Amino acid sequence: MNHLRKFSYILGMLIVAFLFPSTSAQAGVLNQTLKPNTPIQHFIVLMQENHTFDNYFGTYPGADGIPSGVCMSVDPADTTKKDCVEPYHIGDRPIDDLDHSLGTFNLQYNDGKMDGFVYALNQRNQNGALTMGYYDGSDLPYYWNLADEYVLFDRFFSSDHGGSFANHLFWATAQSGGNRASAEGYSDLMTIFDRLEERGISWKFYVQNYDPQITYRTMSQYSGNRGSQIIWVPLLNIDRFLDDPKLASHIVDLNEYYVDLEKGTLPAVAYIAPSGASEHPPGSLRSGQKFVKGLIQALMRSDSWKSSAFLLTYDDWGGWYDHVVPPQVDENGYGMRVPAILISAYAKRGYIDNTVLDFTSIPKFIEENWDLKPIATRDAKANSFVTAFDFSQSPREPFFIPFERVVKEQRVEPRRVVIYAAYGGAVALAILMFIWTAIGSDLRKQSVAYFNRLTQPREPLP
Amino acid sequence: MSIKDSSFVRDRIVSGISSTRQSLIDWKSWDRATVARAVGIIIVTAVAVGLRVWELNQLGYNTDEAVYAGQAAAIAKDPTLKEIFPIFRAHPLLFQFVLALVFSFGVNDLAGRFAAVAIGLGTVYMTYRVGKLLYGEKAGLLAGLFIALMPYHVVVSRQVLLDGPLVFCTTLTLFFLARYAMAQRPAWIYLTGVGMGLTFLAKETGIIMLGAVYAFLALSREIPVRIKHLTVSTVLMALMIAPFPISLLLAGGTRSGKNYLVWQLFRRPNHPWDFYPTTVPESIGFLVILVALLGLWFLRSEKSWRERLLLCWIIVPTAFFQLWPTKGFQYLLPIVPSIAVLAGRAIGRWWPEDIFLLNKRIRRSWIKTSTVGLIAFSLLIPSVQIIRPATSGTFIAGTGGVPGGREAGEWVLKNIPVGATFMTIGPSMANIIQFYGHQKAYGMSVSPNPLRRNPSYPPILNPDLQIRDGDIQYLVWDSYSAERSSFFAEDILRFAKRYHGRAIHTESVTVSLPDGTTVVKPVIVIYEVRP
Repeated sequence: MNHLRKFSYILGMLIVAFLFPSTSAQAGVLNQTLKPNTPIQHFIVLMQENHTFDNYFGTYPGADGIPSGVCMSVDPADTTKKDCVEPYHIGDRPIDDLDHSLGTFNLQYNDGKMDGFVYALNQRNQNGALTMGYYDGSDLPYYWNLADEYVLFDRFFSSDHGGSFANHLFWATAQSGGNRASAEGYSDLMTIFDRLEERGISWKFYVQNYDPQITYRTMSQYSGNRGSQIIWVPLLNIDRFLDDPKLASHIVDLNEYYVDLEKGTLPAVAYIAPSGASEHPPGSLRSGQKFVKGLIQALMRSDSWKSSAFLLTYDDWGGWYDHVVPPQVDENGYGMRVPAILISAYAKRGYIDNTVLDFTSIPKFIEENWDLKPIATRDAKANSFVTAFDFSQSPREPFFIPFERVVKEQRVEPRRVVIYAAYGGAVALAILMFIWTAIGSDLRKQSVAYFNRLTQPREPLP
Repeated sequence: MSIKDSSFVRDRIVSGISSTRQSLIDWKSWDRATVARAVGIIIVTAVAVGLRVWELNQLGYNTDEAVYAGQAAAIAKDPTLKEIFPIFRAHPLLFQFVLALVFSFGVNDLAGRFAAVAIGLGTVYMTYRVGKLLYGEKAGLLAGLFIALMPYHVVVSRQVLLDGPLVFCTTLTLFFLARYAMAQRPAWIYLTGVGMGLTFLAKETGIIMLGAVYAFLALSREIPVRIKHLTVSTVLMALMIAPFPISLLLAGGTRSGKNYLVWQLFRRPNHPWDFYPTTVPESIGFLVILVALLGLWFLRSEKSWRERLLLCWIIVPTAFFQLWPTKGFQYLLPIVPSIAVLAGRAIGRWWPEDIFLLNKRIRRSWIKTSTVGLIAFSLLIPSVQIIRPATSGTFIAGTGGVPGGREAGEWVLKNIPVGATFMTIGPSMANIIQFYGHQKAYGMSVSPNPLRRNPSYPPILNPDLQIRDGDIQYLVWDSYSAERSSFFAEDILRFAKRYHGRAIHTESVTVSLPDGTTVVKPVIVIYEVRP
């Protein structure tokens, strides 16, 4: 009876294998497609808030920063330009949440003349001079140190003329959906996460202080910062990511990022949305940098470091001055330049990348790395930041970037030659004294005799 | 006239070499005394070298060794360690300067220990020379044997500590002073000044031996000293000491020197008053001390300036360090050559007759040999025991390496990203992690009050905040520090719990329990923490 059972089982297996020969082959293809085209097996992107490139890196050496002699006219219509504001270091001066609506962008952009920065804010009853303020390495030591060590992009533009919501939508969908959250949601928008899901590639959207109750459906109940979760997590405006438990399970609290790193379960693609430490003016830059430092340090001390890339960027310009005219690829954008830094074991060291990029370059890189179809026209046409990597190099060892800006030239090295000379001299003196005392009396006599001989009058020449 | 024609070279060096060569060739014709002397030298050398290099590197550096080696590496411009260890801390830099010359070929803990051993062997030799000078060949050899075997000197001379060079320099000074007392030639009192200067450069506490020199000269009327000679000697001593302030001034270390002085003057006692009586005699050897004392008593009839000199060399530092609030296990090491010489003298010169026991004659030479054997055995056993790794999980600073410390540090070096910051219970483990792990580490127990902490150690003002800010990413608990400060040990575990601490590495040692069984006990645990 047992033999009969075994025979039936083997026969059954053979029939299955004969009838479905493609099953295992398909699995093999799927595994192959899951494998990325570069050594980057984990891509993490964090989007902070509201700063321009010139505001953060305008004085960074070697970057396309604030041009010399700039003085922003208070009134662009004033042809004499006598009344103008020069860029200045903000330092500890108080700042404000500068207006960064679409209307302000248009006034500041001024058909590409880029001369309405002060004027636009004055029009909003704000102190327009604030826009010309900038930070430097003393205010942003961590970011400047990151730039020294990894890749700084100085042609990274926001995707939309508008503010946070529009740009976050571009980040996830590569499309324009509007400038603010809508009570109807944006369920018809395709996202990069749909593409990843189609191919079975792992992904997560980590949200700091995540509250699943706050979605576009409940936004009227949440005002202020609590409600910002809807802006910073575009998926919370799309029904399928709220209603499908499988999809919804990908949106998690940021704590899981650390747990995933510890357990080695970091997904292939990870988007991160901040909460309190987003650097949104007038928020603390120091808190923001510490938040980012925590994320990067956690990655660096995990096993995933050697196969990961971390991109830090900012969702919009926040009303701040930037001198580079943003290229216009369609009616929505680009907006002003924003800071962006790539940190990876394969990132070039201390490299400033001039490739023109925007937030749709992020889905572009994911699509190229995992062989995904584009979501929309924008990402199909966008440049990827693959130029920032050097995959020919062996992965760089992790390095905890210091939080203090150390300028190497300022460091005073102790004068070691003094130590060697002083202590070496003392030892030599001791040895000489010993020789002089122990056996020196005889040598002294010889030396005196020799000296006397030298000074004796010579015999006259014949 | 060639140098060979010089009377000194001709009479002493050339004749010495040729006679030695000749006597080595004619070893079959050696008399009994020469054979005994040769055997004695071989035994002393073998014991001294053997006990100092046997399993020399089985344990990594302890905290003090890590600091001095770190300073030396900084002088030698090691690219990583020079960023972690400041050159100027508390002490003068003579030994660190010597180590820096060794480390200029690459920083290596074993090379540092070999340098310490070489200096230790130099001390054994100088003790022999002092003994020989004062009481003859036999007493010198016995003194050399005792110090070669002595656990106190064995353990310190196996470590990269300043006390090894300090005791070498004090013994050198003792030798110079004894030569002066014998010959009363001014050059030897000048050299005494040079020796005192070197002693200070080895470790500034050596300056108290000046008190011993003064006491000896003041108490010895039979040894006249002219003011002129003393002045020259003092000037030479000042010249020798000069590298310390000069390097502080010119190489940029004035501030650390001042801070350390203030701290030393006002710091609290770190050990109870009976620390030395309870720890040091055992390490010197009770029998050695006993024999030295018996020798002083029974040979009192032949007392001279010699014993006075040796006693000054013992009493002055002992009295000073007993009164000084800061105590350290190795601080009394400068007294041991004198004790060894006194013990060597006692056996070498005492017991003039054979004795009769149960109508049986016991030869005087047998009594002496047995006594020496007994003392040697009583020193050898603790020396061997002290070389073995500690199995109790506790230790006294200066008594040896820290089991697991080097291994933990090397694990850090291999596995932790560069630029990480560690918090340890106290600065002891911090130094070890810094030296072997090449990472910054801070002791939680370092007081924020400048008067209550060693100025070399920066305090952690707010550990909570620094962990939350990601400025401290790793915590280290170790059983040695936990033994001494349970409060901070509990605190560090509390921080580990509060900030998602994950034990990422553990170093364990096998510990013997009182009932004879052995258990594996974790001695160092490294936690990863995050906000």
